[in-house]
Amino acid sequence: MSEAFLSLAWVVAGVLFISSLRGLSHPETARRGNGYGMVGMLIAVAAAMTAGEVGNFGMLVAAIGAGSAIGAQLARSVAMTAMPELVAILHSFVGLAAVLVGFASYLAQDAHEGSHALLLGEIALDVLVGSITFTGSVIAFGKLRGSLSGRPLLLPGRHALNALAALLCLGLAVVLVRATEPVGMAGDLPGGFGALLAMTLIAGALGAHLVLAIGGADMPVVVSMLNSYSGWTASAAGFMLGNDLLIITGALVGSSGAILSHIMCRAMNRSLASVIFGGFGAAPPKSASGTPQPPPGDVVETTVEELAAELRAGTEVVIVPGYGMAVARAQHAVRQLVDALKERGVRTRFAIHPVAGRLPGHMNVLLAEAAVPYDLVLEMDEINHDFPTTDVVLVIGANDIVNPAAQTDTASPIYGMPVLEVWKARRTVVVKRSRGAGYAGIDNPLFYHGNTRMLFADAKDGMEKLVAAVQAPAA
Amino acid sequence: MRLAVPKESHPRERRVAATPDSVRKLVALGFDVAVEAGCGAGACLPDAAYSAAGARLEADPVRLYADADLLLKVRPLHDRPDLGRHEGDLLRTGATVVSFVWPAGAHALLDRLAQRGITLFSMDQIPRITRAQKMDALSSMANIAGYRAVIEAAHQFGSFFTGQITAAGKIAPAKVLVIGAGVAGLAALGAAKGMGAVVRAFDTRAAVRDQVKSMGAEFLEVTVTEDGEGGGGYAREMSPAFIAAEMALFRAQAREVDIVITTALIPGRPAPKLWLADMVEAMKPGSVVVDLAAEAGGNCELTVPDEAVVRHGVTIVGFTDLTSRLATTASQLYAQNLVHLLTDFGGAQAMDADARDFRLNGDDDVVRGGLVLRRGELVWPPAARPAPSPESAPASTSPAATGAGSFPAASPAAPALTSKLGVPTIQVVDEVPASARLARDTSSARQSPLTWAMVGLTVVAWLALHYAAGHTGEDPSKATALFLERFTVFVLACFVGWQVVWNVTPALHTPLMSVTNAISGIILLGGILHTNGPPGAAPVVLGVVAVWLATINVAGGFLVTRRMLRMFRK
Repeated sequence: MSEAFLSLAWVVAGVLFISSLRGLSHPETARRGNGYGMVGMLIAVAAAMTAGEVGNFGMLVAAIGAGSAIGAQLARSVAMTAMPELVAILHSFVGLAAVLVGFASYLAQDAHEGSHALLLGEIALDVLVGSITFTGSVIAFGKLRGSLSGRPLLLPGRHALNALAALLCLGLAVVLVRATEPVGMAGDLPGGFGALLAMTLIAGALGAHLVLAIGGADMPVVVSMLNSYSGWTASAAGFMLGNDLLIITGALVGSSGAILSHIMCRAMNRSLASVIFGGFGAAPPKSASGTPQPPPGDVVETTVEELAAELRAGTEVVIVPGYGMAVARAQHAVRQLVDALKERGVRTRFAIHPVAGRLPGHMNVLLAEAAVPYDLVLEMDEINHDFPTTDVVLVIGANDIVNPAAQTDTASPIYGMPVLEVWKARRTVVVKRSRGAGYAGIDNPLFYHGNTRMLFADAKDGMEKLVAAVQAPAA
Repeated sequence: MRLAVPKESHPRERRVAATPDSVRKLVALGFDVAVEAGCGAGACLPDAAYSAAGARLEADPVRLYADADLLLKVRPLHDRPDLGRHEGDLLRTGATVVSFVWPAGAHALLDRLAQRGITLFSMDQIPRITRAQKMDALSSMANIAGYRAVIEAAHQFGSFFTGQITAAGKIAPAKVLVIGAGVAGLAALGAAKGMGAVVRAFDTRAAVRDQVKSMGAEFLEVTVTEDGEGGGGYAREMSPAFIAAEMALFRAQAREVDIVITTALIPGRPAPKLWLADMVEAMKPGSVVVDLAAEAGGNCELTVPDEAVVRHGVTIVGFTDLTSRLATTASQLYAQNLVHLLTDFGGAQAMDADARDFRLNGDDDVVRGGLVLRRGELVWPPAARPAPSPESAPASTSPAATGAGSFPAASPAAPALTSKLGVPTIQVVDEVPASARLARDTSSARQSPLTWAMVGLTVVAWLALHYAAGHTGEDPSKATALFLERFTVFVLACFVGWQVVWNVTPALHTPLMSVTNAISGIILLGGILHTNGPPGAAPVVLGVVAVWLATINVAGGFLVTRRMLRMFRK
């Protein structure tokens, strides 16, 4: 296929990708947006396949076929609650693919009109970002799955370690760029291979370390950061291969991920830097207040029956879901509760904190899975001023996002983070598996608040009993 | 701090600035409350209830004024006919007054109070921002005026509002047209709809269309498109072409409707003449026009303020005391607005003694907007307000520029909204200016990090190129040109991505992430481009493996997005 025609195909695919992201901005247009993305990808792949530089069709088709089958299977079988893990592991594939493409470019060292040094520099960049994305995503995947501890790993002098690794990578990149001996002089590897390999490994270690140092509560930001990285990786590959479509697409994805991270960070009142460089989750163990403060009172427990009576008597109910709902897969039971309450004339809405769950928008996806209409699902800013007129707030498996200490206790590690002001409601009921502290390991004064009642139960189990109790004829 | 509530002495005023209920709250805020005996009589609030709530009854008005640190009133201070003295002269030097003021045309009053070192806070100047809604007395009063306008119309109208089919024949429902869908207009729509009328509304601001529809009314439109949003909940004046189209629409409506309620005001100007004499003439005999803008000159050409007159068989109601006709509720809402305001000021303690500068230094929007005099010094109008401020009216130069206490003569061409009465007319509870400001803020916040990142990146790229040129002995110009070409594409794409993604609703963050994930599988092109060579060669193998990995990503990402999006439903 002619060069001109190929360029045209890149433009069309690029425009389709932009339309895809645009479509994703609103629920009504989102499906169309996804369609645009698919068509764009088909066009891009078809155009690349017909380009002159392609050979070994059999292997290529087999690889694409196998990859599609695996991908489709993953997409079909993944549980909605496991979405964060899936997204993380998919990021790692992009990173690894970028590293492989980088090495392939390096070994081939051809087809690149222009400067040899420039090519080597771009290879170094591609492999560097790809490697960080790969190992970082693998670690994030492990943490989200629970195979690795959610606690941050805080090595002494970790910032110095990171800086050292980054400097080493830079130095090795320079070595690589300066290795300008003719290609494959002795019939084996081109010059600078050692440097490239070493850089890959160091970058990989750096990526792993960066994510290991981040606490579980920051996972939504980490996942979107890795999303951003995977975009920059693709962009770097585009520079390396001189392919505008890769550059454009990578930049789109990269800035999209960066914006998401930025939004998440703002929702937690944290700087992006503090998340990227880690070390939050295990925040100074109460160093500000000396010893862990004794709870200011006792928690008051409630029962399913009592709660059901309160819900039936109310007219305004707000449900605040958190990660606990996802873990217990309670979203369907919650939906039934909403239906049961609606039948009794109780208006029930959902309040979603921007960082609830382990992935941006996690709660929305779960509630959508349970067929909760999205106009019942409100954002923090939309609903925060409604709490004073709410009869019952049901907090299901959420903790830090409803912690009043974020507004009152300057010593709290989450001080200044915007939270859902559930304590202003007439009654707040917290459904919780145990008496443990939240993901951030911070005590929650909400539990001792005068209007608060605790229901210690597994979220799903508790909700199912609650639905039965609400539906039972009033005693 | 001694707080005093006098009786309103204006002839047609029946409201009062405090109710027994609000007195209780004021006492709780730490005020020592005194009320003039009989102050609540017009609003059916007996003296006994005030004393039961903790207020001291003061029979001697002169002493009431003289003792007050803080005076709460409905109307601007004026001459008390029973005492033969101006209220401002009865106050002690340095006292504080909170009331409706309409400062744009109240130069004589402000002059008089400035000489006595009074601190004056104007309820009608509180900015219409979200936080201040609970003290927005204009909205409270407009709501009442709108409701009452319908009641007055029904009183004058010779038929039912609801259509009925009876054994004795069929009666068509009344058709009500409301011009200006601010708070008063919306309240009128709601009341008329509730009584069974067919309601429609006209407004120059396109943004209120949904609000009109939410009241169950039809929104009339002209073919000329022009948005009349003027900020602060008011409309601005429109172009001649628009006005011509508007008039044609009104003439057509005049033949059809039974009741017209006009609520159009432009701050600092005489009310626009919208319902002309020929429209009145075109209306069916027995129809009713209620003009809520009567006080500012009227929207109807034939309006006579404070009277209901019959012209061409049509009754034209120009009452300016509609809120006073619901005195109990109006007093209750106004008093509650005042309680919220004083709570916002921090109660008696914070307002006492030296702290009585109302946190003006604290850059409080409410205080900055509402404060007219601070210990006699003119601080109104504040710099930079979102609403079209009255000083844009011709001949009314900014009083602040002329120094404290002296005023240019009020231009007769601009009687403004001032006058004797606290009846505000149309307003929409603010949203537009606040949200517009917010949008501006965030859009600048959105741009700058990206711009800086790109500038930084460009610098780094330049340094790297410079280095490469110096150390590799190649021809640098070619490499530079090539690189810059791609770099340009990259930077532009970053800006596009940045713009496109900002508007994503939070609910879609997860699908967005999985779709971008799929798109970043575009890296598979890189693999494809390396497959040319002997099947066993290292680059080919690496390329094929990369294609395999990236395809998992592409297929998985798109399909899982589709699965998720299918679940979203309204």
